[in-house]
Amino acid sequence: MDRNQIAKWLEAPAKMANKYSLHAIYFCTGCGIIEVPPVITARWDAERFGVIPVATPRQANLFLITGYVSVKTLRPIIRTYEQMHEPKYTVGFGSCPVNGGMYWDSYNTIKHLDKYIPIDGWIAGCMPRPEAIFIAVTHLWTLIDKDMAEGYVRYRKSYRAYRRNQEMALGKLDWPPLYPVSDEPRGDEQ
Amino acid sequence: MSKSLREELESTFKNIQVSILEDSRMAVTAETHSVLAILRFLKDAGFDHLSLISAVDWIEDNVFELCFILTSYMQNDDEYTDRQKLHIILKTRIPREQPQVKTAIGLFPNAEPYEREIHELFGIDFEGHPRLTPLLLERDYEIPPFRKDFDTRKYVEEVFNSIPPIEIKNK
Repeated sequence: MDRNQIAKWLEAPAKMANKYSLHAIYFCTGCGIIEVPPVITARWDAERFGVIPVATPRQANLFLITGYVSVKTLRPIIRTYEQMHEPKYTVGFGSCPVNGGMYWDSYNTIKHLDKYIPIDGWIAGCMPRPEAIFIAVTHLWTLIDKDMAEGYVRYRKSYRAYRRNQEMALGKLDWPPLYPVSDEPRGDEQ
Repeated sequence: MSKSLREELESTFKNIQVSILEDSRMAVTAETHSVLAILRFLKDAGFDHLSLISAVDWIEDNVFELCFILTSYMQNDDEYTDRQKLHIILKTRIPREQPQVKTAIGLFPNAEPYEREIHELFGIDFEGHPRLTPLLLERDYEIPPFRKDFDTRKYVEEVFNSIPPIEIKNK
């Protein structure tokens, strides 16, 4: 353990523990998932950074959206995100989740993913190198330190708006709302 | 070998154009009502694998073109003759106003997902298909999205870009 960080550990042990044990859900969204196997195996070895891929969303707290999101994929992405435990962090990988990328005029691709689920950070590029994932992870550490990686708080607060956008894209959703959606807008909701 | 197949086809069916594109590729253009008969003929002639059904929208000619691509399985080396190296493209044109053809499932059962996909993306109706339900798409489209008169940019502008962004409020 780094001696310089002992003060941080004593100050906020839960935050430090979250930082160094990011469990990434292995969700193959698009073409970007091809970068993930070298990242988690011997060549780049993501475990140096405390990132481990896990099988189910219940065990994960880091969600990498790797590549373009079709309308049909958006549904499992939302369900996966809602199943993850808090604190949970989302990183959009590649230029397609940012604004559609090369699918900017496609009839069946979601253009801006942050309209549907909160995103804590973006990795731009098509494709980003595997090193970019580690840069993103170190940036995410900084964000967690400064309490800025709080997409899940945003999701809880603006859940009405997120749910409305999800319904605009997918039609009627066949699962109940994660947080109560009341008819009267409260002060902390949109 | 392929020359004799060409002669056989031309002598059996009327209104058919056969052209050899390369040594290993032959294109057959036929009318819609004789497509199933030609498929049956080619299947009996040894082309027992339907690799693909695809569709093209020729909007200037006001037709859809369906392409059936047939090859044959090469089971043993001694059966690997010139005839079995051949790819056959069977093309037929159907009017855009009434896009209806008979399904090829009876001959090639693997035509089912291809026909479903073409029905979904081009709106071509396959008579006798057991389930023409949505396969890939999640939303309803007024015009099937692979038709040339489907304006993708207008659609994106109307559907995806009209969804408002989430406002991030400062604490």
